[in-house]
Amino acid sequence: MPYVIGVDTGGTFTDGFVADHFGSIASAKSPSTPPEFSVGVLNVIDELAKSLGVTTHDFLRDTSYIVHGTTSTLNALVTGDVCKVGFLTTKGHADSISIMNAEGRYAGLDPDQIQNMSRTNKPPPLVPRALVVEINERIDYKGAEVVQLDENAVRAATRHLIAQGVEAIAVSFLWSFRNPAHELRAREIIAEEAPSIYVALSSEISPRIREFARSATTIVNTQIAPRLRGYLIPLEDELRKRGFEGALLVMQGSGGCVKAREAPRHAVSTLGSVLTGGIVGCTNLGTALGHKNIISTDIGGTTFLVGLVVDGKPVSSTSTVINQYTISTSMVDVHTIGAGGGAIAWIDQGGNLRVGPKSAGARPGPACYGEGGDQPTVTDADLVLGIINQDNFLGGRMKLSVDLARDALESHIAKPLGMKVDEAAAAIYAIQNAQTADLVRKVVVNSGRDPRDFVVYSFGGAGPVHCANYAADLGASEVIVPLGATAAVFSAYGLASSDIVLTVERSQPDNFPPEPERVEQAFARLEEEIKAQLQEQALPFASISFEREVDMRFTMQLAEVTTPVAPGPIDENAVANLGKTFEEAYASLYGKDAGFRDAGMQIITYRMRARARLPIHPELPHFEHGNRRAKPRSTRRAFLDVRRGWQDTAVYDYRDLGRDDRLIGPAVVETPTTTVALPEGCFATLDQLGNMVIRYADVV
Amino acid sequence: MIHLDDNLTLTDDGAVVCAHCKTQIGENSYEPLAHAVKRERPSRAAGPGVHADPKTFTSREIVLRQYFCPGCSTVLATEIVPQDEPSFRHWSLDAKA
Amino acid sequence: MPLIHVAGSEKFTFRERSVDELRALASKSVPLHTVDAAAEQAVDPLTYEVIRHRLSAITDDMGDALKRMSGSVVVTDCNDFNAAIADETGDLILVGQYNMQLAASLDMAIKWTLEHRSENPGLHPGDMFFCNDPWIGGGLHQNDASVFAPLFYDGELFAWSGAVCHQVDLGGVSPGSWSVAGTDVFWESTPVPPVKIVENGYLRPDIEDMYLRRSRVPKLIALDLRAKLGANNVAQQRLTQLIDKYGPRVVKAVMKRMMHDAENRLRNKLRSLPNGSWGAVAHQDSARAGDDNIYKIVLKMTKHDDGLVFDFTGTDQQVEGFINCTLAGVRGGIMPIILTMLCNDIPWAPGGIYRCVDIISEPGTINNCTFPAGIGKASVASAWATQNAVSECVAQMVGTHPQHRKAAMSCCQGTWDLALLAGVDQRGAPFVTMLCDPMAGGLGARVDQDGVDTGGQMPIPMGRIADVEINEFSFPMLYLWRREEVDSGGPGRYRGGLGGSSCFIPHDSPLQGVHLVVSAPGKALPLAPGLAGGYPSATSYDVLMRATNVPAMLGQGFIPGTLEEIDGQHEVLPSHVETDMAASDVYFTHWQGGGGYGDPLRRDPQEVAGDVASFRVSPRAASDLYGVALKSDGTVDTGATEARRQELRRDRIGPDAA
Repeated sequence: MPYVIGVDTGGTFTDGFVADHFGSIASAKSPSTPPEFSVGVLNVIDELAKSLGVTTHDFLRDTSYIVHGTTSTLNALVTGDVCKVGFLTTKGHADSISIMNAEGRYAGLDPDQIQNMSRTNKPPPLVPRALVVEINERIDYKGAEVVQLDENAVRAATRHLIAQGVEAIAVSFLWSFRNPAHELRAREIIAEEAPSIYVALSSEISPRIREFARSATTIVNTQIAPRLRGYLIPLEDELRKRGFEGALLVMQGSGGCVKAREAPRHAVSTLGSVLTGGIVGCTNLGTALGHKNIISTDIGGTTFLVGLVVDGKPVSSTSTVINQYTISTSMVDVHTIGAGGGAIAWIDQGGNLRVGPKSAGARPGPACYGEGGDQPTVTDADLVLGIINQDNFLGGRMKLSVDLARDALESHIAKPLGMKVDEAAAAIYAIQNAQTADLVRKVVVNSGRDPRDFVVYSFGGAGPVHCANYAADLGASEVIVPLGATAAVFSAYGLASSDIVLTVERSQPDNFPPEPERVEQAFARLEEEIKAQLQEQALPFASISFEREVDMRFTMQLAEVTTPVAPGPIDENAVANLGKTFEEAYASLYGKDAGFRDAGMQIITYRMRARARLPIHPELPHFEHGNRRAKPRSTRRAFLDVRRGWQDTAVYDYRDLGRDDRLIGPAVVETPTTTVALPEGCFATLDQLGNMVIRYADVV
Repeated sequence: MIHLDDNLTLTDDGAVVCAHCKTQIGENSYEPLAHAVKRERPSRAAGPGVHADPKTFTSREIVLRQYFCPGCSTVLATEIVPQDEPSFRHWSLDAKA
Repeated sequence: MPLIHVAGSEKFTFRERSVDELRALASKSVPLHTVDAAAEQAVDPLTYEVIRHRLSAITDDMGDALKRMSGSVVVTDCNDFNAAIADETGDLILVGQYNMQLAASLDMAIKWTLEHRSENPGLHPGDMFFCNDPWIGGGLHQNDASVFAPLFYDGELFAWSGAVCHQVDLGGVSPGSWSVAGTDVFWESTPVPPVKIVENGYLRPDIEDMYLRRSRVPKLIALDLRAKLGANNVAQQRLTQLIDKYGPRVVKAVMKRMMHDAENRLRNKLRSLPNGSWGAVAHQDSARAGDDNIYKIVLKMTKHDDGLVFDFTGTDQQVEGFINCTLAGVRGGIMPIILTMLCNDIPWAPGGIYRCVDIISEPGTINNCTFPAGIGKASVASAWATQNAVSECVAQMVGTHPQHRKAAMSCCQGTWDLALLAGVDQRGAPFVTMLCDPMAGGLGARVDQDGVDTGGQMPIPMGRIADVEINEFSFPMLYLWRREEVDSGGPGRYRGGLGGSSCFIPHDSPLQGVHLVVSAPGKALPLAPGLAGGYPSATSYDVLMRATNVPAMLGQGFIPGTLEEIDGQHEVLPSHVETDMAASDVYFTHWQGGGGYGDPLRRDPQEVAGDVASFRVSPRAASDLYGVALKSDGTVDTGATEARRQELRRDRIGPDAA
């Protein structure tokens, strides 16, 4: 069965990408269909079949995998359409999930919101107080039982919660990850009282120290798992009806996928499902192009996502913030910054010109869309500056109005500031570029790295319009704009080219150095768990690789740093090397001598990751067009660079370009999915896959 | 008219009135609570939030001092202070509304 | 010994100077860069916004660097630090969103240094100064250790960067430098006026040693010092790059304009508010262990046109104890309220904001004390109390404006409830730590909604607490509970945010117990007042229970949930105590919530029913303070509620009314 499909559900469009193992590919876009997103999924699959010239039935019959990026769990959380969950926890600690370590009041908010302190609030409680029951039981930091489990209380609590109509029960006792005995016994008791109730244990869902995040993760997982199941099962049934015999896989925030049937078990890991396709796409494209260090910038109309690939792997974090709750799940570190092409330009109370963070979104969108938006946006500025073309936007699929853009700029920006419309547009363009560079730089620097060591990948509709500018500001060596086969559906390509990734972890805090046997045992246990989960995937893997890592810290300091553990048996040497690796990682992130070594180090959490390679991986076709000497289709006045102002700018059409072309700025390249701006001082070529490669003239 | 807070309004002719029952509390904004009814009780009258008898900590008498609207008894100002101190929480506006 | 003025200490006192005065006083050998008004006018909107955003990013980077490198739990976990950029004469252009009290004292230290050190030893590229003398500035008490550095460009002193963090211990009689029995500053960590600790880019080991010598944890302090050096280095490098790109004239013009922008916008906002004056008082019970006096800070805030005058006439004289604060504390009490309630939508450029503020305060008073008054607790004592008084006045003032009233809050958590633990941990290593749980204080009620329960503290917009498991892993303790406390939020139409409590027993300590230092006022009377008739929050309440039956209870399978369930000798602790906890002793600490807003008899009875159902308000308080009667199923008994409220109203203007 030759086909592999990637389907990515977005707010506006559902993207599809298919590759076969002969090197043919196709892509398609279909409008998303909320609230029944599955319809859009099936529609885009029909579109893909059409473009390959086969029936949907034959297409699905010959498909090995479908990898699906879904927003269903995120939507459930955000809309509150979650299952009713009861919560059992240690006596004395029911308020942990409302105290939220105080930081729940502002977690995830941006600086303007934090500054407006009187308007900040904690989010609504995860579980209403009436559905939280405290149980007499206690385990201490070493896993010893201090108070035995009150089994009658568990029974009574179960009966009470059932009477309240809960659909599932989450259990989170203090230190359960050290000693899960009480949680396991609680589940047995609940099963006796209410056999059909789903019970989630924190020691299984998220066996990591820090009870607030662990409880929140366990509860959220339990709330959304049934919704995910309720979405995936009918979808899979329908696909089978239509002829699908292969595996339906779901993308996780970790950058790998997992079998749909197993996905609800770790539903929280799908919260980042649609954010990660882009990073995975960059990783895999980077492998094909020989780039190991990539800054991924995905700029759409409403959002701006930044992620990093370092040494060929996406940079990950071990937790994320959703609705101001801290959720422990391995996530590819994707930052949402700014507001993309729809960022609104406005004047603040001090009379200063600002860009973003508010966005005009997709509806009504920029003024030039003509959909009723009257606020001037970055896209309106781009249009007025002649960078994007009102007649050839998105391959001509959408007509823009320069007049509407000019009107919006005039009334909201130019007139109040006493500027000409052109000046206003130029200022907005330049501010957007500088701000983007600042925000991206912060992400890179905060991960301990230097933007100058990276290549920038720029995709999404609005990215390539600005990438040459902000990448130059960052000091990046070159910019890649993925075009060609993956252009419109880069995230879906990422999905189709991903692998199964499973992660298991457990906290076992200890002073460092721990006994080598303890480390061996911890990993042996994790290995057993992960192998069992691999079995349950029931898929033929081309190869499986395992990675081990630990979270360590200097005793007195806040930051835990994830440190890779070399393969091989763990003896005293290996442990000592681990300490060295940690110190080096810490120094590279936080500076030499940043670590307070004399206070000692601690090892906190053990983690293992299995990467099971799927047998089919899309091979992007080589770009065949050689020997072209493309001529510009036209010339127009455009403003691409503040220092140079308006210039006669060559306008190319991507479809005319070939491998031998070398475009020198100032120039603009119009493609069916985006526009690439090339200011003076940079030049662009096409690589073997048809991507545009932008470099700077004074950099060798 | 200025809405001063949840209970007090400054009328157009400069008087301070109760926002709920319109009783005049002060003729002007310089002595806005001139006609408010003042009452002092031991601080524990403020409820279970006063955890311990203040005598545990001090020899001075601590009172719950409140000012009420004479018309509807709405409480306009509350403080818990040493009884032997005057109230420092006086405010006035140079207001023509 | 009574406080007797120390002759010769006058020099180490910050004096307000105008920019022109300061320029004249600075050494001729330090040329100060500046620009004129024309340059400021000439900055175009694009350039202004790009440079402003970049300067803001630089301040963020400084804060990030400090957070990552520091080993102090109050920095890493409580965000008790800040970073700033100032212009050539020390006016702050930008400050981070961390401890806002500290934003009001870095400028003082920089200006004093310019006046007193620019001639000798002089200011040169690569120099950095250390200061922890609160009479000069940099911080509010000696634990606040600041490092600041002049930035030179083309031979002129262009700007300053500064970083300040609370250090865990810098000497003095008691661990943590909280000398609860102290009567003057000589019991405490010795204040160090500005000294050149980095010279020509190199850390001076002799000065560093002199600094570290005073601490019980010198290695930790050394680490934090490097964190501050690092933060300043980051600022200097990035600022230099910025000036390289845009030129000193343009960058400085933007800096000046940022301050003017903030100043103008604040003045506009003030002009839109009614002229008037508002009075407040803030109390503190007990100045040191064994003292049962109650002290007051009195404030009359006046607004006329576009400026604010804070007049502290009537404030008590300074006292023998450790709760006094210096002028840095007065400024540090005013600044957080101005930033959050008046500049919530205005960029935080303190240099401009301060121009709108005048302070009338008599030296020798409790919140503007003279040397050698004890100030070990200043930041959370008289400075915090000053802040409470300012909070009341500003909130009432903005409360009169139809839009700006939304920025107002009743007083947030009235004070810090300190519990400092020291001893040997379960792994055999010595430790000193401050319990940061009270960081989860109740915020004040707002004009249109309740205060946030366990939401944080006023001066630190991004405070946080550590998980119970982290505390139990790091220190030899076991929590019986950590929870929000019923009835701790001030009653009102809108309820003040709840405070909370922690209750714990020593666990696995090789010494069988831990050393405990407690310092918490607000016990004789609550310190977070309400507004518009709203009640103050609960009082602080700390109980040490000796020789309890808790170990036996736990063995029998039962965790107590109330103090009544715990047998033993209950000691309701006074404000300041230093003692030892034995293995079966239990410590309960209950920190304050926020003040309420409006008349509790006007609170929607449905809300009260919800409060009772979620254990925020007790049934007794529901009836006695809110006048709400509930049926046995917890729903509102409308008839009985109306009757109860009428009864309470009649009762208000009772026989003993004036």
